[in-house]
Amino acid sequence: MKGKRNFYIGASLVATLVALFIGQSALDRTTTAAGKAVVMAPRFEVDPLWPKPLPNRWYIGMTIGVAVDAQDHVWIVHRPDTVSANEAAADQKTGDCCSKAPPVLEFDQAGNLIGHWGGGPGQGYEWPESNHGITIDYKGNVWIGGNGTNDAHVLKFTQDGKFLAQYGHKGKTAGSNDTENFGRVAKIFVDPKANEAYISDGYLNKRVAVIDADTGKFKRYWGAYGNKPDDKNLGRYDPDAPPAQQFRNPVHCAELSNDGFLYVCDRPNDRIQVFTPEGKFVKEQFIAKRSLADGSVWDIAFSKDAQQKYIYVADGRNQKVYIIQRDTLEVLTSFGDGGRQPGQFYGVHSIATDSKGNIYTTETYEGRRLQKFVYKGLAPVTKQDQGTVWPASSSK
Amino acid sequence: MERRPTLYAVATLAALVVTPTLSPAARDTAASAQRRGGVQAPRFQVDPFWPKPLPNHWVLGSVTGVAVDAQDHVWIVHRGADSLGNNEKGAILKPPTGCCVPAPQVLEFDQAGNLVSHWGGPGEGFDWPQSTGGITIDHKGNVWIAAAGQASGGAAGTARPAAPRPQDAHVIKFSRTGQFLLQIGHAGKVEPSDSKSGFNRPAGIRVDPAANELYVADGLGNHRVAVFDAETGAYKRHWGAYGDKPDDAAVGPYDPNAPPAKQFRNVTCAAVSKDGLVYVCDRQNDRIQVFQRDGRFVREAFVSKTTLGDGSVWDIAFSHDPQQRFIYVADGHDKKVFVVRRETLEVVTSFGDGGRMPGQFYGVGSIAVDSKGNVYTGETYEGKRVQKFRHRER
Repeated sequence: MKGKRNFYIGASLVATLVALFIGQSALDRTTTAAGKAVVMAPRFEVDPLWPKPLPNRWYIGMTIGVAVDAQDHVWIVHRPDTVSANEAAADQKTGDCCSKAPPVLEFDQAGNLIGHWGGGPGQGYEWPESNHGITIDYKGNVWIGGNGTNDAHVLKFTQDGKFLAQYGHKGKTAGSNDTENFGRVAKIFVDPKANEAYISDGYLNKRVAVIDADTGKFKRYWGAYGNKPDDKNLGRYDPDAPPAQQFRNPVHCAELSNDGFLYVCDRPNDRIQVFTPEGKFVKEQFIAKRSLADGSVWDIAFSKDAQQKYIYVADGRNQKVYIIQRDTLEVLTSFGDGGRQPGQFYGVHSIATDSKGNIYTTETYEGRRLQKFVYKGLAPVTKQDQGTVWPASSSK
Repeated sequence: MERRPTLYAVATLAALVVTPTLSPAARDTAASAQRRGGVQAPRFQVDPFWPKPLPNHWVLGSVTGVAVDAQDHVWIVHRGADSLGNNEKGAILKPPTGCCVPAPQVLEFDQAGNLVSHWGGPGEGFDWPQSTGGITIDHKGNVWIAAAGQASGGAAGTARPAAPRPQDAHVIKFSRTGQFLLQIGHAGKVEPSDSKSGFNRPAGIRVDPAANELYVADGLGNHRVAVFDAETGAYKRHWGAYGDKPDDAAVGPYDPNAPPAKQFRNVTCAAVSKDGLVYVCDRQNDRIQVFQRDGRFVREAFVSKTTLGDGSVWDIAFSHDPQQRFIYVADGHDKKVFVVRRETLEVVTSFGDGGRMPGQFYGVGSIAVDSKGNVYTGETYEGKRVQKFRHRER
């Protein structure tokens, strides 16, 4: 098995190089002030064969949420109604392949589909017109948002899909200063320490809203820079104009770090804004600032080290994932490129990490995949733009 | 049966590197042909790392044709910018909004999956297709492209060009470097199924090296196979289903329970085997019809006969053995490749399923085989890929 031998040789070479670079870096720091320090960043390789093919000739549509639970199971939510007639030919009775999969899917670490549920309305709740965002809270409950025209609510279920709670009501939104409903929610994050849910609100509203995760009671909300949110139309994003004083729609993520900073994706404004849990503005960082249209900052995930030293930013406009140093918000490197092959993206929309540091991404538009990027440890940054990250052994 | 050792190097490495828990059995269901009842059939394994990523942030549009040349280089033609949404071609918008760039429409890859040449687009003396159909490389190394577009429209559901454009009604011959050599028919000059000089949205083309004749599957508008001299472009003959005179009268939607249609619906391939039989894809009639070179009907076989919509028989390729014992049929509606015994036209097995992962398909509409027996597929619609399926030696 020649390939296998090559792989081991390759792997040990990489290890040796890494060791050399680390040693060199330490040496540089100690011996020469003029020497350029070697920047290290997490390295990833796509796993092209994860997850396993779905059963029942199921097909997924725009996949607009991914989360990892405490068992390292990977959850996604997609939009079955975006599967075209050509794809859902079995539902249309024009062919054998295929059928729309249920919207909520759970995979184990091996990539097996082990749970599936969701869809229409049930007793006591309103299923979203357009599914958007999924999170598993520290109690194991599943939260789902919705960005359909009339979606103004979030839903909470058990992992079996049993309804637990709905906060807000479809069609009832009263804007960014409403304390009962939301405006087309993108995503939810639950803070285990305070038992509070942070709502990225959203595609209609321009705020972060915080509610009690058990009762849904509104606690606080704020807009860009911690300002009172204002729903006035800001017009198009202009990278050369002064930074907008309000979020643009959609406010696409709001994720709290272990050390208590809230990172907000202000997607069409191409920026991350950082806040205290109380909504006090800390700082902001633009990413790919020239990106127009649907913007560059779609979703973030923290690295799995205790310090959460890195942030991974999904950019569905530029079809890549940035690796950012959390303390400086500086982009260290990025991976991914446009395309339909493994490790490439079309509309990379959501991102999550498991306990081993692996990254999972989902794609909306016509990307429509769940992809896994295997954590390969820290490596020296040699390129700002790594492109498609295939295993080194894949180039023959 | 030694399954493990026959896994090709790349997949084995991929498994070692990134999927320690993946079993060979799981991969088999995804991507390889299976045996059924002791019948022997070729086995395949998808190569998820072929071809290599394109340079320059290039992305593929709907892939409409794939072919292999004498050097085992793989050629594809795709629909480019017209088939790409603004979200995937941000770099060419004014102002630019982000990634990426439509790749040139004709791309040549070597066996390792490196892009070795690229060309395509309008030029002097010919009508670049408003929407491409099939591609073939003839025995002299020339490149033929069918022009299959509808007037003023791109692929369904995609961004449309601003200015209306005429309906495609022609085929074009280029050198392998993209130098224009010959065109039969003209854009906008749509001709019916008895024409000796033009077509109506020809979809597939192949050259019979023995006679140096060009076979045109004509097409998405007409209902015939048309044969031309591959050197001069001179008309030679044509025929419709069962070798009859083609008739362009509308036949309505396909009904699997009705008696077989006396005319072709969409004709999307016409490929000549080494022993001189012409295999025609009658796509929406879900059938292959077989003819002598002179158009005499030999036999037909239905494949996935209950398939409606855009039909099951999109394109075919012959297996690489000297006898060409098998035919591979790309079924873009059912998202699979059928392995058909050529002698009996019986389906032996199939591989593929719907999806966006390696070895899955969306709109698999073109297929070709290299000298080693590896299969290459092109996906249209939102599939937008070329995939390689390695032939597994026993």
